[in-house]
Amino acid sequence: MSRRRIHPSARRAGLAIAGLVSALAACAPPAGEERGAIPRMTGRDYVTCGASQGISGLSRPDEKGVWRGFDVDVCRAFAAALLGDAEKIRFIPLNAAQRLPAVQTGEIDVLSRTTTMTFTRDMAIRFVAVTQFDSDVLIFRRSLGAAKPADLNGRTVCLQSGGSSADNTLTRIEREAAIRFERVYFDSTITARDAYFSGRCDVYVTDGFLGASQVATVARRPADHSLLYLDHLLPQSVAIARGDDRWFDVVRWTVNLLIWAEQNGVTQANVDQQLKSGPDEVRRVLGEDPAFGRAIGLDRRWAYNVIKQVGNYGEIWERNLGQGTRIKAERRLNRPYKQGGLLFPFPWDV
Amino acid sequence: MSAQAAVPAPPPRPPRPARALVVQSAAVALAAAAVLLVIVTTLGNLQARGIPIGFEFLGDRAGFKIADTVVPFVPDHSYLRAIGVAIVNTLFLSALVCLAATLIGSALGVARLSTNPLVSGLAAVWVETVRNTPPVLLLIFLYAGWGEAMPVGEAQEILPGVLASIRGVAIPSLTGLGSATPLLLGAAAAVGVYLAAELAARRLARAPGRRFPVRRVALLVLAGLLAGFLIWRGSGLALDLPQAQGDDIVGGARLTPEFATVVFGLAVYTAGFIAEIVRSGIQAVPRGQWEAGRALGLREGTILRRVVAPQTLRVIVPPMTSQYINTIKNSTLAITIGYSEFMTVMGTVINRTNHALEGTLIIVAVYMAINLALAALLNLYNRRVQQRGRGNG
Repeated sequence: MSRRRIHPSARRAGLAIAGLVSALAACAPPAGEERGAIPRMTGRDYVTCGASQGISGLSRPDEKGVWRGFDVDVCRAFAAALLGDAEKIRFIPLNAAQRLPAVQTGEIDVLSRTTTMTFTRDMAIRFVAVTQFDSDVLIFRRSLGAAKPADLNGRTVCLQSGGSSADNTLTRIEREAAIRFERVYFDSTITARDAYFSGRCDVYVTDGFLGASQVATVARRPADHSLLYLDHLLPQSVAIARGDDRWFDVVRWTVNLLIWAEQNGVTQANVDQQLKSGPDEVRRVLGEDPAFGRAIGLDRRWAYNVIKQVGNYGEIWERNLGQGTRIKAERRLNRPYKQGGLLFPFPWDV
Repeated sequence: MSAQAAVPAPPPRPPRPARALVVQSAAVALAAAAVLLVIVTTLGNLQARGIPIGFEFLGDRAGFKIADTVVPFVPDHSYLRAIGVAIVNTLFLSALVCLAATLIGSALGVARLSTNPLVSGLAAVWVETVRNTPPVLLLIFLYAGWGEAMPVGEAQEILPGVLASIRGVAIPSLTGLGSATPLLLGAAAAVGVYLAAELAARRLARAPGRRFPVRRVALLVLAGLLAGFLIWRGSGLALDLPQAQGDDIVGGARLTPEFATVVFGLAVYTAGFIAEIVRSGIQAVPRGQWEAGRALGLREGTILRRVVAPQTLRVIVPPMTSQYINTIKNSTLAITIGYSEFMTVMGTVINRTNHALEGTLIIVAVYMAINLALAALLNLYNRRVQQRGRGNG
């Protein structure tokens, strides 16, 4: 009788051991694997891009589930450059706390989600290029009649927790103007925004374009709210994992391409004609000179593909944040340097 | 789980010792190997990705603020202190919720057994509602409800001296008592003295002979000390009445909507479960006990308090332990509405330092330490209750 009882349990134990061993074997990293994100992306034939949890004009799925926005289109440019198709991309919504680990662990190939480049963060992940110069904004009801931050002394402020730049900005204002704010923290900009609109706070502080988007698209009457931009500059950058030079090249020079194309009048509409009869440099970049594509390890026509499928920087801006949209954001510093902005392209060749 | 350890399980049938030993040691070795492999792989991966690992960051300047803390905290304090402050917040919140939920839940459990159909029906609706909905829903609903229900534009006096607005609720408070720490210590000492007196009184009650009124003397001494303190410090004492300033409330003791919602919501939620525990505990006491009480001419309330409740304890302490542990775990839901408990602050710490692995380990260690300590404490209490129950019953 005991023989019968022990045998099945021993077999079960054996099965469990076998299962465990094979599971562990699967966990261990295969040896001799090619490093970096590019083989991974070309292997599965799409790029994964870290996006926000839903900010109109920056990154948000529309009613058909297609992601729309400035940050999202910048990401599409990377897919167009690497894989030749801007739609070979998947977006992963991330909150503020998830975004850095997601880059570090390789869960996403690139992060394009209003992330300010700082020294501390750059030591953890690798920021590649600034896509947007932003600043913090204080949003409050027009009826308060405040003209400068000091007029908001003693007011209650809603903001996102997680050591955001907004928090440090508030502390700086408090010190400079010798005033005090009452802070209420939330786990995301979306809950903080809702608390402000419900009246829990007098003031809501967040990133400038994000705040402008939320007032324009969420507030019941956008005209009731004042936006006070602060002078603190926040360079919002795209980022990848550290130690990946080839992918770094692609991301940096794709962003450069978008800025360069606007400066040189290359648009989605005229790129075919520019490729045929544009100035020398334009034709070379768009694919006439095979050395460019070879040097960066991409298709000869990668630059053409990006502009044809996504457009230049100015077009991406106008499509998502410009005067034709509900947000109507001012470009402010995000103009070519010849128009008083901070955008300038690095030269392709001497 | 550990709460149930106190209930002795039937001894398992002894398997063949030699073979069992081999199987068991193989299982242990395999589990250890699995853990080791995971650790080695993780460390290897972290190194390959250039993610540094270590706990040095705990001493660094935190650089962020925490709203609504029990213990003072400023950005210049270290991450370690931020974590400590957050743990105190979690413990404070959980203690309040457990206390409130136990009081409400006990009443609710008794109400479910009421012969009045309205009372038992309402209690049943409460219990079934919270038992069958996720707690996070309740919190979000209550928080949104606060925003809709509370006056906007001007704080209103809802009770004499009590002001409410969308920014919180404030009650009158006393000022001029000096800092809070000595006061709290004094209060704790007073409670300790009274508990000691209570123990002494019980021991004396069992001894034959004349009774010394220990309780009354202890109360008198404490009242005397309080009066002395008030005379000593009373000159600076003042009543701080909250005042409306638009939506804001100044003065008084203020409760933020976030904290109030979390405490109230979790108390309402947990009370539903405690009610069921109390109800089943009462029903586990044999009917004969009630009937015996009635035969002695005791009133129903007296039977419940003096006869049934002490026997109920024997049944309900283990499930109550689980419920308290659940409450501590549920306190993490405060993250959804902006109260700075431990999880919220750890999220911030991880976000700022990028030490996700270490942060997660700290989270696990802290919750395990709190919950195991609580379970051990309640198991100790449970053992005492069981022994007493067996001795008397």
